Amino acid sequence: MSSIGKEAVTGVDRRRAAAAQGRAQGLDIGWTVFSYLIAGMIAYGGIGWLIGRAVHVALLFPIGMLIGLAISIGFIIYRYGRQGAVEQPPRKEMTGGR
Amino acid sequence: MAGDVRVLASGGCHIFSGCGYPAPSLDSFMFRPLFSVGSFHFTKPMLIAVICGLGVIAFFWAAFHKPQLIPRGIQNIGEIGILAVRDQILRPSLGKRGDTYLPFLVSLFFYIWLMNLMELIPVLQFPAMSRIGFVWPLVFIVYFLYLYLGFKHQGFPGYIKNMIPWDVPKPILIILIPIELLRFFVVQPFTLGVRLFANMFAGHLLLLIFILATWYLASASIGLLFAAGSFAMTFFVFGLELLIDLLQAFIFTTLTAVYIASSLESAH
Repeated sequence: MSSIGKEAVTGVDRRRAAAAQGRAQGLDIGWTVFSYLIAGMIAYGGIGWLIGRAVHVALLFPIGMLIGLAISIGFIIYRYGRQGAVEQPPRKEMTGGR
Repeated sequence: MAGDVRVLASGGCHIFSGCGYPAPSLDSFMFRPLFSVGSFHFTKPMLIAVICGLGVIAFFWAAFHKPQLIPRGIQNIGEIGILAVRDQILRPSLGKRGDTYLPFLVSLFFYIWLMNLMELIPVLQFPAMSRIGFVWPLVFIVYFLYLYLGFKHQGFPGYIKNMIPWDVPKPILIILIPIELLRFFVVQPFTLGVRLFANMFAGHLLLLIFILATWYLASASIGLLFAAGSFAMTFFVFGLELLIDLLQAFIFTTLTAVYIASSLESAH
């Protein structure tokens, strides 16, 4: 019979569903962390560059980038570094729970 | 035909013949137009994009235009593909309510995968995604979709408000706001596109390096031994690219599902 529409009901299906959810979550967190690092450098590097242009101090651009990187790293540790900070219960509809 | 391939094909450019190794370069990604209509030039990557688009449509049309209760043949393969996307990509991020987006994610996944696989198909041998112009339209579709869904489900003020991590102390919040907004509106779509492009670009370059080296080193000398090594590496990189092609399509589609999920509900 056509298997589209069939839900995950067995133990193996549930384990697979949980593993898939973990994979998606890991991928999301990994790229979010990477995005924070880049965004921090661009945001504060940009602010540093603008101020540096106004006061004629070119060094403010790399300093801004480093500050942005430090802020991003600090926030990443705050958000994702704690034990259990990223753990979520499996979706009910994924596990066949009603 | 790309420039470096033309150099090799034009004559006996081999090691010890006074001819230097024609290393692949950006020239390897430029193609002469197949035909032109005015100022519009139709090139090989465009042909590959059209073939892939039609290929995906034809495959799913053949699989599901007359669906049977007991699937057979191509319908079986189609169902396996759809279920793989649903259970490995869509459901883990969106849950059952995300089934509305299944056709979009299935199309996206198979189109990207097929476009990537084109680098391994003889004659075509070019991943169109290694030209960034083919990646940006997909990124824009995804970007505007998740912005639209975010504004629709959370409202404009709510969507912007939900981007901000309110759980951090207030003084830190002020310095985090520019990072958070830049990450969401610029870096996130940028990395989504560049990752796919860079992987395909690097993969094609790697394959070209070893294919060209095999031809260049093949001569009646010790070079033949090196050519054999390069030939073996070509097979290794070929296998690696088979995996990377699938992985990149998987990552792009999974992140699309994750971004859609974050638009449907508050992330923080």
